[in-house]
Amino acid sequence: MSGRRTRVLVTGIGLVTPLGADAPSSWAAVCAGRSGIGPIRRFDASGFPVRIGAHAPDVEAAPLAPRARKYAARQHVFAAVAAAEALRDARVVPGSADTERWGCVVGSGMLGVEFAELAALQRRAAPAGVLEVERLEPTADPVAFARHQSIGGLALLVQQFGIRGPVSAVHTACASGGQAIGAALRLIRRGAADRVLAGGFDSMLTPVGLAGFCLLGALSPDNDEPARASRPFDRTRNGFVLGEGAGFLVLESAPAAAARGARAYAELAGAGDALSSYRITDPHPDGNGPIQAMRRALADADIAPEAVDYINAHGTSTVMNDRSEAAAIRAVFGSHCERLLVSSTKSLMGHLIAAAGAVEAALCALALRYGVAPVNANLTTRDPECDVPLVVGASQRRPLQVALSNSFGFGGANNAVVLRRAPDEEPGG
Amino acid sequence: MQMSPVPRSTIDALFPRVAEIVADALARPREEVRLDSRLVADLGAESIDFLDIVFRLEQEFEVRIPRGQILESARGDLSEEEFQRDGVLTELGRTRLQAVLDEVPESAFAAPLSVDDIPLLFTVETLCKVLAGAEQQPPSE
Repeated sequence: MSGRRTRVLVTGIGLVTPLGADAPSSWAAVCAGRSGIGPIRRFDASGFPVRIGAHAPDVEAAPLAPRARKYAARQHVFAAVAAAEALRDARVVPGSADTERWGCVVGSGMLGVEFAELAALQRRAAPAGVLEVERLEPTADPVAFARHQSIGGLALLVQQFGIRGPVSAVHTACASGGQAIGAALRLIRRGAADRVLAGGFDSMLTPVGLAGFCLLGALSPDNDEPARASRPFDRTRNGFVLGEGAGFLVLESAPAAAARGARAYAELAGAGDALSSYRITDPHPDGNGPIQAMRRALADADIAPEAVDYINAHGTSTVMNDRSEAAAIRAVFGSHCERLLVSSTKSLMGHLIAAAGAVEAALCALALRYGVAPVNANLTTRDPECDVPLVVGASQRRPLQVALSNSFGFGGANNAVVLRRAPDEEPGG
Repeated sequence: MQMSPVPRSTIDALFPRVAEIVADALARPREEVRLDSRLVADLGAESIDFLDIVFRLEQEFEVRIPRGQILESARGDLSEEEFQRDGVLTELGRTRLQAVLDEVPESAFAAPLSVDDIPLLFTVETLCKVLAGAEQQPPSE
């Protein structure tokens, strides 16, 4: 089946992450094991139990038309910059002749409304604590409403880049970015598009986002050692670090890429989704859900578990995720586990929530292309309950043929994507 | 709100701040925004921009501008039937509207004129006039 199926290549990458304002600087920091985590500086977090986060750089909204910028929230600016970089990197843009053959799929954030806007609405329309409807219209900003729709970022991208094929926005919490990549893969395979701009974006480093994750007890409170706070799979880990950013890939059918002589970072070989149907925020302790997602992704790619070299783990640095994920990797890979390299790049850049899956898929493509397995930073003593081989100490140079990226979300959505190194003899491979 | 004639001096006094708001909302250079600029044809406004501009005017000038005000003023004591039929202004409706929007060139009022196209007539001066007639509202914050 896979012999006749359209192959899909990654021909462009764009990133805005806590490690850098573009893909080369983000990747260089991953290779060097440099942390992007520090004190929260965009608002006064002094009253919060957690005062550290992973801010992305304050990039300019230059890729968006001036008229469109009022509709762009912070995460949309990240998206526009990363998407523009991915298109530039792929050396292809939607043109008048092929705009309907371009698609766009994004994993979008779960909480768009900024705290300052909520606070202003409260002050203006509910001064006594109860909403006074007659005060609503004269004081509610219609553009803010448009800006915070979950379709907002997608609308800006398709308008800016002139994309007229199939588009959709996925929201499955922390699995969003990975599922967007998988949805894009299927669009190309079934012939609905030749090229898809696919990615994810998020910025929950706001008072509301921080408060929510603090209430859930999900964040590391290691305020005094920000660079060490995210330590997935370590015995002493105590939560994740909230990050922000965007990642975009240009995905292209192999014939479309060949026709223009495009180079490829990697082949996007397969994707798999599975629901845990277990609890809202707890992962299944046995790895149920993640197991099926990984198996489905491998089957979809027609790749045996033994062929996988590197896993970019969801690896949030919470006890529940890490143990459940390690159990799932054990279950899927069995004795091959010993030959795997596993790491969580969240150890360096924190958790980018809806953007995480897309950014991490991009890192897998870069890992394959440059033969580097990213470090799982800050690992001193591995949790004995996480029995998987981790990339310890520093990123490792090693030829890699196949990489898998996991993304799991609150609500029980689990996603895995599988990428394969583009053979050197292929167009630009 | 009455759309009674607004003195030139009032319009001129309001114009600089209105132009600033319009330029900002539509991401246009300030010098492109003139009193007779048409919001849609000349400055590229789309429907949500009207809501945005009215919102900003209300915040800046601490006034209340009910949505649909211009249409209401033009219709005055006419019944809906007398004013428009099937979304197209009647002869009487067009005459009334033209009187209200006396800053807009006469040629813009050629029949048939549909109700949906009325915002296409609005200029920056229209905004100044609406503002001049708007009711003061105590600051909401």
